[in-house]
Amino acid sequence: MISRSTVTRGCQLALRGQSCAQTAQRRSFAAAAAIGTPGSFEPTEIAGLKVASKDAGGPTTRLAIVAKAGTRYQPLPGLTVGLEEFAFKNTTKRTALRIVRESELLGGQLTATHTREALVIQANFLRNDLPYFLELLSEVVSQTKYTTFEFNEQVQHAMHLKQAKINAASLALDSAHSVAFHTGLGSALYPSSATPLGPYMSEHTIASYAEAVYNKGNISLVADGAAQSQLSKWGETFFKAIPSASSSDLSLNTAASKYFGGESRTSRPGANAYVIAFPGASLSDNKPEISVLTALLGGEGNVKWTTGFSLLSKAAAGSPGVSASAHNHAYSDAGLLTISISGPSGGVKKTAEEAVKAIKSIADGSLSKEDVSKAIANAKFNLLSVSETSGTGIIATGAQLIAGGKPLDVAAAVKSLESVTADKLKAAAKSLLESKASVASVGDLYVLPYAEDLGLKALRESIDCFSLRCSAQDVLANAVPLLESSYNRYLAVAARAVRRSLKDDKRLIAERRGDTDLRFAKWENGKQGEPKSLVEANTAAMVEAAGPSSS
Amino acid sequence: MPASLAPFIAARPWLLKLFKPAAAWYANAASYRQLGLYADDLVSEENEDVLKALKRLPPRQSYDRVFRIRRATQLSLQQKILPRADWTKPEEDKPYLGPLLAVLEAESKEREALDTLTVLKNH
Repeated sequence: MISRSTVTRGCQLALRGQSCAQTAQRRSFAAAAAIGTPGSFEPTEIAGLKVASKDAGGPTTRLAIVAKAGTRYQPLPGLTVGLEEFAFKNTTKRTALRIVRESELLGGQLTATHTREALVIQANFLRNDLPYFLELLSEVVSQTKYTTFEFNEQVQHAMHLKQAKINAASLALDSAHSVAFHTGLGSALYPSSATPLGPYMSEHTIASYAEAVYNKGNISLVADGAAQSQLSKWGETFFKAIPSASSSDLSLNTAASKYFGGESRTSRPGANAYVIAFPGASLSDNKPEISVLTALLGGEGNVKWTTGFSLLSKAAAGSPGVSASAHNHAYSDAGLLTISISGPSGGVKKTAEEAVKAIKSIADGSLSKEDVSKAIANAKFNLLSVSETSGTGIIATGAQLIAGGKPLDVAAAVKSLESVTADKLKAAAKSLLESKASVASVGDLYVLPYAEDLGLKALRESIDCFSLRCSAQDVLANAVPLLESSYNRYLAVAARAVRRSLKDDKRLIAERRGDTDLRFAKWENGKQGEPKSLVEANTAAMVEAAGPSSS
Repeated sequence: MPASLAPFIAARPWLLKLFKPAAAWYANAASYRQLGLYADDLVSEENEDVLKALKRLPPRQSYDRVFRIRRATQLSLQQKILPRADWTKPEEDKPYLGPLLAVLEAESKEREALDTLTVLKNH
């Protein structure tokens, strides 16, 4: 039975569809135009300092000095963190107490953070107070005193508190970076309490690092919500104090990044974390498919109380308490696409297996068209919301400025995201699986799988982390009976363990080389004992040492 | 803090010239130098600022200070003074705690001032 209203409704809809086709089309054009002009940062130069600014005319301003001083550039461990903690401390003009109280009175917020590439000293405040905070930032950069007592009483204290907060997930991410890039980008974002900093970090080294960092060629100013005219007017006055070149005895570690890959396993009680990382897209790369792939893997829910329907959230769905998310860490000359999984050990293992399966399924081309368009929409939203809201956009813009590039052109980036197709994604996933992965596991190593178990590209190229770890374990297993035995025997055990962990072809060569024909004799009371072959004596001693422990 | 004429005198060279011999005589007559002490060793420790300043001393200075005080205590018990060669020389007797204390006192003064300030709106 069809009611009258249903019939008429169809007609109405059909009519409306025709008549509104035009307006709908116009509307979509309008939307496109709105996307085409989101507030990108405009680069300028004030008093020799690189400045990027945008002004939406809002009542608040975010002003940040972004310095090329992240952990990858520090010449000695801990300096970036030290410099971050020294921000807004005593300067030659006023005390730290006065700085804090005055900005409180003005309703401003002062923060100092760092990433692997940039050190960010930021002030958020009401629009009218621009001159005060501009002066403050240039003062912090050029006139901080770096006193001994502040280092002992405040900087180190704050560091210990922050080190206590480092969790398994961030430790795993640091490990993944360190196996992926070794030095530079591989140095830890925050040095753990086990890192020896004593010989490297003091108020003197921090002060000379500050001299190396805070000069006009090495820093940039990013302003969000400040009028360009005001900025240049006050900038001219206050930026004079900033030196134009470094006069420090320390220089930044500016070596280019190189991807290595490998595996790192850290035993840790409590929470478990697992990071699978592949070479990703850098800031200068034009690889929109990596952003879309990240969005496709996803993991973070867009709706409350659900983790969503992205591939990683599906992978984690079967294991309660496990969270998994994908992220592309883009740096100026390298990128790292990471999948971070954390939670109970069993669930982490299962999710890691499922996550690798998910990437393989993308590489096999079993992607539906809806999945791709969903991922593109998601990637677009991420990009736009990041550039719109404060924080991340400011840091990214500053990092690009000091790296010598231009601020991100949001409109062009959105357009390139739209050009991603299923085939491109498939190719990207394939190249990920073909490249050498970096895998870091932190937690219960009895349960957490090895990279090879997950079916990732074999890590044993010739001899790397994996085989070295085997050798270390072998040496340790033999260490107890070896304690009172000779150095020769220790060498033999170590060499044997290394040889065993090589690939077959290389092992044969090495073992041939390992054949020694050395004889030795013990001298007792001035008389020579019976000459023995070293190899035979070693084997006999090992059998003897292993005998009682195995019985 | 007791009022002091010292800054007033130090700012005027002719006054300083007049007072310096008298001050030097007084410092020697105070007889702490005969026990091997410095003037800053006499600052009373029963004070939050002084305790904090003592913590900020470099390790070497802190060690030397403890040594001087222990030696002086021992001498005082024995009713002796040091041999003349070991007396504190006037050029050694420099303020080492004073500058640290000045920073701390300035900080507490500033804190006090900021805690009791009145905000004047400029509109």
